[in-house]
Amino acid sequence: MVWSAECRRTLRSGRVLALLALYSLFSLLVLLVVGGITRALREQLDMQIAQAGADASAASQVTEEFRKGFLGFLVGGDQAVMEALAHVPLVVVVVFKATLFFLPLYVAIMGFDQVSGEVGPRSIRYLTVRARRLSLLLGRFLSQATVLLGLVLIIDAGIFVYAWLTTPEFTLGSFAFNLLKFWLAAVVFSLSYLALTTLCSSLFRAPALSLIVNIFVLFGFWLVNLIGGFAAKDSPVAYVRYLSPSHYANGLLHPGLAEFAVSGMAYVVFTLLFLGGAIVILRERDL
Amino acid sequence: MSERAIEIVEVTRRFGPKVAVDGVSMTVNRGEVYGLIGPNGAGKTTTFSMMCGYLRPSSGTLRVMGVDPRVDGSLKGKIGVLPQDAILPGGWKVGPLLTYWGRLGGVANPEQEARTCLERVGLIEAWDVETHALSHGMAKRTALAQALMGSPPLVLLDEPTAGLDPRIANQVRQVIRELKDQHTTVVVSSHNLQELEQLCDAAAILDRGKLAQAGTMTELTGQSAEFRVQVARGTVIIPELEALPGVTSARMEGETLLHVRFDGQAHQPEEVISRVVGHLLQTGVLILGVSRGRRLEERVLQLT
Ligand SMILES: Nc1ncnc2c1ncn2[C@@H]1O[C@H](COP(=O)(O)OP(=O)(O)OP(=O)(O)O)[C@@H](O)[C@H]1O
Ligand SMILES: [Mg+2]
Repeated sequence: MVWSAECRRTLRSGRVLALLALYSLFSLLVLLVVGGITRALREQLDMQIAQAGADASAASQVTEEFRKGFLGFLVGGDQAVMEALAHVPLVVVVVFKATLFFLPLYVAIMGFDQVSGEVGPRSIRYLTVRARRLSLLLGRFLSQATVLLGLVLIIDAGIFVYAWLTTPEFTLGSFAFNLLKFWLAAVVFSLSYLALTTLCSSLFRAPALSLIVNIFVLFGFWLVNLIGGFAAKDSPVAYVRYLSPSHYANGLLHPGLAEFAVSGMAYVVFTLLFLGGAIVILRERDL
Repeated sequence: MSERAIEIVEVTRRFGPKVAVDGVSMTVNRGEVYGLIGPNGAGKTTTFSMMCGYLRPSSGTLRVMGVDPRVDGSLKGKIGVLPQDAILPGGWKVGPLLTYWGRLGGVANPEQEARTCLERVGLIEAWDVETHALSHGMAKRTALAQALMGSPPLVLLDEPTAGLDPRIANQVRQVIRELKDQHTTVVVSSHNLQELEQLCDAAAILDRGKLAQAGTMTELTGQSAEFRVQVARGTVIIPELEALPGVTSARMEGETLLHVRFDGQAHQPEEVISRVVGHLLQTGVLILGVSRGRRLEERVLQLT
């Protein structure tokens, strides 16, 4: 009940539209930049190849090598992931990675005041005598999640349509399959960040504060993942990256079911952890 | 079902070093209209907030309609609340908002109920108004309508008439009387003590977090028996008045107001008043009126 009412209200408010616009604008930008860069690089490569007087097969090999190298950089050099992504246009992967990177921020901006925006002006006082705090929180979370799913679907579909139009070898079957896969990955990924946003939102009375803390935590997670990644393989510091949700992002596109499941589970665990924390905090706190 | 609608035992609430409510105990019986009185910062709103489960007491126990208000969802359908400083959520129109709240609270026919309650507070024309476009008084009445939805057996009203114009304030008092007729328990706070004296069966007087006195209205006002006489013309002879049976003190407040205290235990007020007025008329004093009101106010001013 909270869910449907909140969904309607969220959709009615301008913020979703603004975010959609921002999100698509950003994706478009990345798309253009990446498209431009790849085209320029390819031209340059072609020129080099032509100067070297090599034949066409060598040329395509070089392009393929370049593509592989770039992809490897993006997904962290996992061979299986690279193979699985071989059929997906490079632009899609790049844009997807870029949007994934910024998705937590969008989520934060969308949902930072879902609880604190009601606790601050105390309008939540009208609600807690009517419904359980638990259902209020879950309703909020679910409505935001619904909106988010739609938002991500629209953007992902947009990227894929672009890729489909520009890449002739991209078939409809692989289009649909990959779209579903990327969308699922983005959804699992963003739900955990939405839960984090819910947690930050329940912690503070001032919405601005919860937004700032939320963003701090996001940077914290990236930092932890980076530190863990740079640390020597056997040092204990390397293990801290398992504490950060960002560490599991690549596994979401992994073709192996096990890897996907592990990463997916990791995100589910993070989601439950954050959401559970939010519930406990909202239950115990003064309103 | 116990006879008590609200039972508060030794409740204390601190905000950091500040003790907002300090060891307060009181009971509200079912069907009673109960007043919560005290100067600004006395702890009335904090007490209300603990009754509604918004705040957890630092120590002590509360039972509201037989349940612990801090248990999540335990008060659903049992109380209606007009919180003092809660802002109506934005992005809603009044009617749909109340309908939504009614549905949340499990009211059978929420839209119908929302209309009825808005009508009771005289605000049905605001059905299609956005909440942020309401004036202070309209917002307050919307919040009051919200508290009435679903006819809960207990209604808590934190300063329902503050900031309302006299006519609307009167309408709100009428709503409270109707609630009383329906045997709804009402707890109401106000700085308008005359209003509380009219409405309430019992009251608690809070001062700086402590309970100064609690009891029925007669208990609260009985001890201070006094009245005032508005004098138009003539000379009041104070010593003669003070010699009348029952009168304990008489003095002039300004040029025209005579203030008389009497022994309310041993004498009926009507006897003492008639005697004093009779004496005044005999000595050639012309009077404009006699007032007995503001007894509660006297008591509160004494205590706080
Ligand atoms: N959230 C809070 N944090 C800190 N102090 C608080 C808080 N809420 C209330 N207080 C303090 O507790 C005391 C009681 O406040 P409360 O709001 O209960 O008074 P009140 O009787 O309702 O006053 P008023 O007539 O002005 O509404 C005040 O001194 C106030 O400063
Ligand atoms: Mg108050």
